[in-house]
Amino acid sequence: MNVTSQSWIVVSDDPAVSALVEAARLLGTEVVALVVGRREVAEQTAHAGVDRVVWLGEPADGTPVEAFAGEVARIIADAAPRVVLGAATPAGRVLLGAVAARLHAPVLAGIGSVELAGDQVVVARTVLGGIAEHRTAVSGGTAVLTLAPGTSADATGAPVAIEEVAATPTTGATITDVRVKEQTKVDLGAARTVVAVGRGLKSREDLALVTDLAEAVGGEVACSRPLAEGVDWVAKERYVGISGQHIAPDLYVAIGISGQLQHMVGVRGAKVVVAINSDKAAPIFAQCDYGIVGDLYQVVPALTAALGAGA
Amino acid sequence: MKIVVAYKWAPNPQDADVRPDGSVDWSRAKNAVSEYDPVAFELARRLADATGGEVVGLTVGAASIDTPLARKAALSRGLDRLVMVADDALAGADGTRLAGALAAAVRTIGDVDVVLAGDSSVDVAEGQVAMTLAGELGWLGLNAVSGVTAGDGGVVVERDLPSGVATLAVTGAVVLAASSDAVVARVPGMKDILGAAKKPVEVLALGDLAVPATEVALVTLATAKPDAGARLGVVLDGSDPAAAVAQLVGALRQARAL
Repeated sequence: MNVTSQSWIVVSDDPAVSALVEAARLLGTEVVALVVGRREVAEQTAHAGVDRVVWLGEPADGTPVEAFAGEVARIIADAAPRVVLGAATPAGRVLLGAVAARLHAPVLAGIGSVELAGDQVVVARTVLGGIAEHRTAVSGGTAVLTLAPGTSADATGAPVAIEEVAATPTTGATITDVRVKEQTKVDLGAARTVVAVGRGLKSREDLALVTDLAEAVGGEVACSRPLAEGVDWVAKERYVGISGQHIAPDLYVAIGISGQLQHMVGVRGAKVVVAINSDKAAPIFAQCDYGIVGDLYQVVPALTAALGAGA
Repeated sequence: MKIVVAYKWAPNPQDADVRPDGSVDWSRAKNAVSEYDPVAFELARRLADATGGEVVGLTVGAASIDTPLARKAALSRGLDRLVMVADDALAGADGTRLAGALAAAVRTIGDVDVVLAGDSSVDVAEGQVAMTLAGELGWLGLNAVSGVTAGDGGVVVERDLPSGVATLAVTGAVVLAASSDAVVARVPGMKDILGAAKKPVEVLALGDLAVPATEVALVTLATAKPDAGARLGVVLDGSDPAAAVAQLVGALRQARAL
C-alpha cells in the first residue's frame, strides 16, 4: 500500500498532545491533526505546533467521540499517511482500533521512542507486558501507533486554521449523564520521591503508615494495581504499572510490593529503588538497590521515625 | 439478547523466561483464562440473566488453545456454549489479525447484540484488541466499562473515564471492554465445573472464515531484555527493624538519595 510522507495525529477530548506532535514531527514531513470533539480541543490543537487541523465539528449533544470512529478511519484511509499516532487513552484506543481495522494494520503500543529510517517508521517498544524490548520496523503501509499523549501545548506562535469537515457519527449511543470525579490533582511524574504500597498492606486503615512515611520523606504516595482497582484504597491516578503511571523519581520506596514486572515496568527509570517486603523470595529484591526483608508494620514506622529524627 | 464473551487463553509473562538476548522461552508457562477476562464473563452472565439471554464464549488462537482443560475453564464461567477458532496460522498473530478472526466468528455466530471483553490480555497487556474488533465489525466500541445493564431497546453502559463516570444509553450492536474492577467475578463452583462438560462446543475452521489479510507488516530488528541488572541489590535482614533502618538510612544518605 502506498503511503504519503505525512504524519497524522488523532486528537479527541483532551488537548494534551505534545508527545504525539513531537513524534509526528520526527516521522513525517507534514503534521496533520484530526480532531474529534469540542471546538475548544480543536482550538488548543491549532496551537500545538501542527501544520493543519482537520476538525469533525462540534458533536451533537450527548454524542460520544467514539461514535466518530468510522469517520476517523475513513478519513485516515483516504489520506494514507506514513504514520497515524493516537493517545493511549480510552477514546484514543477506540478511534485507533477503527483505523487499524480499516488499514489492516497492527497497533503498536508500549512505545519508548520513534525514528525514521529512510522512509520506514521504526519504534522501540516494550512487548509482552514489559518483559522484553523490541526494535520494530513497519512496512507495507501506514504505521499505527499509540503513545502516552503528553502535556498541553504552550500557546506560543501563530495557530493554524481549523478546517471543519462534515462527519456522520454512528448513531445509537447517547451520553445521558456524566459524574465528574473530584480529582485530587496528583502529579506523580513530577515527584522526586515516591512511596508506593502494595498487597502487603492488610487494611485500608494501615495506609496511615505509608502516608506518614511519605510525609517524613517529602514524597507522594503511589500503589500497585490491586490497591487502586481490586480494593479501591488508593486513587487510580496513583497506580504505577504497565497500564498506569510510568514514573522516574529520584527515590522509589516499594512497601509490601512483590515486584511483578507489570508493576516494575512503571518505575524502571527510578534512580534508587528501595524495597520493604516480608518475603525474601519476592522478585523485587532482585530489582532494587536497597531492600529490607522484614515486617512492614515494624520497618515502616521505624523508617519514618529515623527520618523524622534526622530531619 | 445474544451476548458473546471474547476472551483469551494465554500464558502469564511473569512465568516466562527472558533470555539475555531478549528472546522469550514460554515452556514453563501454562495457558489460563486471561487475568481480567473473568470480569467480562461475570458481566455477560448477569446481563443474560436479566434479559433471558444467551452467553456464547468465543476465543481464537493457535491450535494449542483447544484442549479439554481450556474448554472446561471457559464453560464453567457462566457460558451457555463455546465457539473457538484454533489454528496454527494464528500463532503469533498481531492484535489486528486476531480482531479480524474474532469479527469473522462473531458474524458466523450471527444476531449478536453485545460483545463483552476484558480490559486487556495478560500476555500482551495493551488493551487494544476489543476496540479493533469493534472497528472490524463496524460497530460502536466502548471501553473502560464499569457496568452494563439492560435498557430501552439496548443496553445502558457506565464508563469509568479519567474525566468522570459517564452513563450512555446504547441501541444497536456494541463491543464493550470492561474495566478490570467493574465487578468481582464469581469463582466457578463444583456445579459450574461439572456442568461445563455438558455444554456445546463448536470449532470453526479458520479457512471457512473471511479474515482480512494483514497489509502492514512488522519486522523485528532487535530484541533485548530490559536491564534489570543495573540495581545494587543490597538486601538487609529486617528482623531487627531499627538496626536495618539505621543501615538503610545511612546508605541512602551516602548515596544522596535522601
